[in-house]
Amino acid sequence: MKRREFIRRSVAASIASGALFSMGKWNTVLASGTDHSLPFDLVAVKNGTPEEMFDAGIAALGGMKTFVKPNQTVVVKPNIGWDASPERAANTNPGLVGQIIKHCLDAGAKRVMVFDKTCDEWTRCYKNSGIEKAVKDNGGQIVTGAIEAHYQHVDIPKGISLKENKVHELILESDVFINVPVLKNHGGAQMSLTMKNLMGVVWNRRYYHANNLHQCIADFATFKKPDLNVVDGYRVLKRNGPRGVSVNDVAIMKYQILSTDMVAADTAATKVFGIETDRVKHIGLAEKLGVGTTDLDSLNIKRITI
Amino acid sequence: MREQKWLRPARIIISILFLAGFCLIFSDVKAKLPSGITLFFTSFQFLPSVLKFPHQPGIIASGFFLIILLTVFSGRVYCSTFCPMGILMDVLGFIKRKLPIRKKRRKFMKPLNFLRYIILSMSVLSLFITGMFAISWLDPYANFGRIASNLYQPVFIFLNNVVSKLLIHFNVYSIQPFTFNVFHPLPFFAALTILFTVIAMVIFRDRLYCNTICPVGAILGLISKASLLKIKIDNSSCTQCGKCQTSCKANCINIKEMRIDETRCISCFNCIQVCEESSIGYKKSWGIKHETMNNTDIRKRDFIKAGILFMGINPLLAKAEEHHNEDEHDRKKFCTRGPISPPGSRSIRHLKNNCIACQLCVSVCPSHVLQPAFLEYGFTGMMMPRLDNQAGFCNYDCTKCGEVCPTGAIFPLTKEAKKTTQVGMVQFRQHLCIVESEGTACGSCSEHCPTQAVYMVPYKDDLTIPEVNPDICVGCGACEHACPVTDPHAAIFVYPHEQHQTALKPETEKVNVESTEEFPF
Repeated sequence: MKRREFIRRSVAASIASGALFSMGKWNTVLASGTDHSLPFDLVAVKNGTPEEMFDAGIAALGGMKTFVKPNQTVVVKPNIGWDASPERAANTNPGLVGQIIKHCLDAGAKRVMVFDKTCDEWTRCYKNSGIEKAVKDNGGQIVTGAIEAHYQHVDIPKGISLKENKVHELILESDVFINVPVLKNHGGAQMSLTMKNLMGVVWNRRYYHANNLHQCIADFATFKKPDLNVVDGYRVLKRNGPRGVSVNDVAIMKYQILSTDMVAADTAATKVFGIETDRVKHIGLAEKLGVGTTDLDSLNIKRITI
Repeated sequence: MREQKWLRPARIIISILFLAGFCLIFSDVKAKLPSGITLFFTSFQFLPSVLKFPHQPGIIASGFFLIILLTVFSGRVYCSTFCPMGILMDVLGFIKRKLPIRKKRRKFMKPLNFLRYIILSMSVLSLFITGMFAISWLDPYANFGRIASNLYQPVFIFLNNVVSKLLIHFNVYSIQPFTFNVFHPLPFFAALTILFTVIAMVIFRDRLYCNTICPVGAILGLISKASLLKIKIDNSSCTQCGKCQTSCKANCINIKEMRIDETRCISCFNCIQVCEESSIGYKKSWGIKHETMNNTDIRKRDFIKAGILFMGINPLLAKAEEHHNEDEHDRKKFCTRGPISPPGSRSIRHLKNNCIACQLCVSVCPSHVLQPAFLEYGFTGMMMPRLDNQAGFCNYDCTKCGEVCPTGAIFPLTKEAKKTTQVGMVQFRQHLCIVESEGTACGSCSEHCPTQAVYMVPYKDDLTIPEVNPDICVGCGACEHACPVTDPHAAIFVYPHEQHQTALKPETEKVNVESTEEFPF
């Protein structure tokens, strides 16, 4: 009887402790609120490979250790929406994703996870974008975004059109969230940038399209602020976005923008692309909701040419 | 015939490998398996390869010829070794013998020849009336495919997801979970019915299906009359102990008369294994006079007739339905549109004449756009694959369904050919579009369009609205799938082609960008 009692108790204890750790919220509570006092509000880098530009950009912000503390979990959210090769620039550059993972692990991250809720069939997107390989080669873990059970219901209190949705648990539970969009043209939203990229962490995208797309994009930006945004402007899809038809739609521009302010990063990205910021409605709408600022002159910007 | 004792273990090993192979190809939810492996297992299936041969003559489609050769050489080895349904029945029979239920001793049974040849000739005749419909419900591979697709695959996905979930709990993401395919009651209950029928027949008499209902079994049975090697009893050493008779799954050994009905013998070699005197086994059959010669002649003649009908059927059927696809074009309404047949099937007619609804393409379609039809193709097209744009959309670069199709109902396409295969054409209803009705941005359709046959043009207040260029549309259904409008139906949808067309290639010029030295901000 005693032995049975012992087993029962130890099982119960291990379940309880496992549950405690797996909640993950504890880590978030302990880690959040650390306001990174950064040397710059925005870093823009040009004329290098994606890896070189990231090395230079993150160094200007004080290195990855500013954002990732030892033993923290990191989620990296690139754009892997399409079954297209890296040359097509429909997805984030795989080299950049790999380099970010490397920096996170060097800073002592416990785990780095990568996912996207893709538009094309997810296994093909992960493979043909080159991102699955880049993640694995650099020690990260690639996770599917196609399973509804991984998404949890959330309220968006500051939202105007978007009041609730389901968000991937990695976004809710990871200590650090790094948003890595690719800079590209977008038929419906004009541009796909940091805030548009966050449509890949919610389950119900159809709702956005049916209920004022730009307002919903801005609304979701009030819900979760990424710890760091890295806009990949190495290859830029100039037209026929967000998917593109062929490599003819792509220009090699060799830019990268790093910022914690999504509105500022998107504003800078529109200027790189050569479109008036006003035409990308969700940027202005997000500024109104207090997500960030479009006034780049008021920011402390570091410009690096490699 | 002691030296023939290895035959049964060899048969068991190969058959287990084949069953495992079939499980593998129906577990390929994300089309990761090289198509060659899938084709290897299906190419040894009789009816699929007979259907494939006229369209794609070659080694891969010659499986039926190999099966016939094998049968001419050593009887119905196919039925015990390569037929997935036969192997499944052996597994069920094995379970039955392990269960603590009362089992009747197996004994010699008279063949149900009348029923058997009636079914065979009816199923051949039915080709003229119902196309592939009737025969596809009798064919062992097609029926196995339905069981594998509708009953086995969900179990596989469930187990995979349980393992995945356990590993994710320990923060290991090496096994990814999969989503279940859409549930359709018709194929599910059809598969369940087939499985229960098979179980019932196995309980009643092990290989009743193979020797009474299965048209492939009946054809091979007729061929095996002329086999070079036949299993025979050596009258001089046989003690008539009857062990072979009780081991015979086909109930075809008559120990009293020391005769074996070779039309029903499935070459499982159980009898060779159990015979203590080693007096049963393969013997050459030439130079020996047959006792039942007069019966055979008629059957042989019937078989030849049936074979000619069978081989000549495709071109005949092709002619029959040629002329009723022209005058429907103005009824371009969403609700009245017909089914969209998969790229590579060339036309609905070709699909219906060649598909046996084995569900392999449905099982391996990674985007789940291929779904079994209900009555969209008509009654005789039940469970044949159709593009269901609500379930998914056809991936522009994916050519999996044509690569794996065992019957040639879906031709294999190269990536380049796939990209210009137009299975249907886009239709846009601007008054339903969100951009017009709500005055808000959307562009979901154009976003998903791989050729930009749907593209966005300026509309009022910085908005953009879709415009279509049907010439370069491939009919993949991405726009329809992505459209947020549901009432009364999607604002953009694909209208199917009965006969597939060729789309123009999207032409673009290289984009020009003037590079600036300075940062633009």
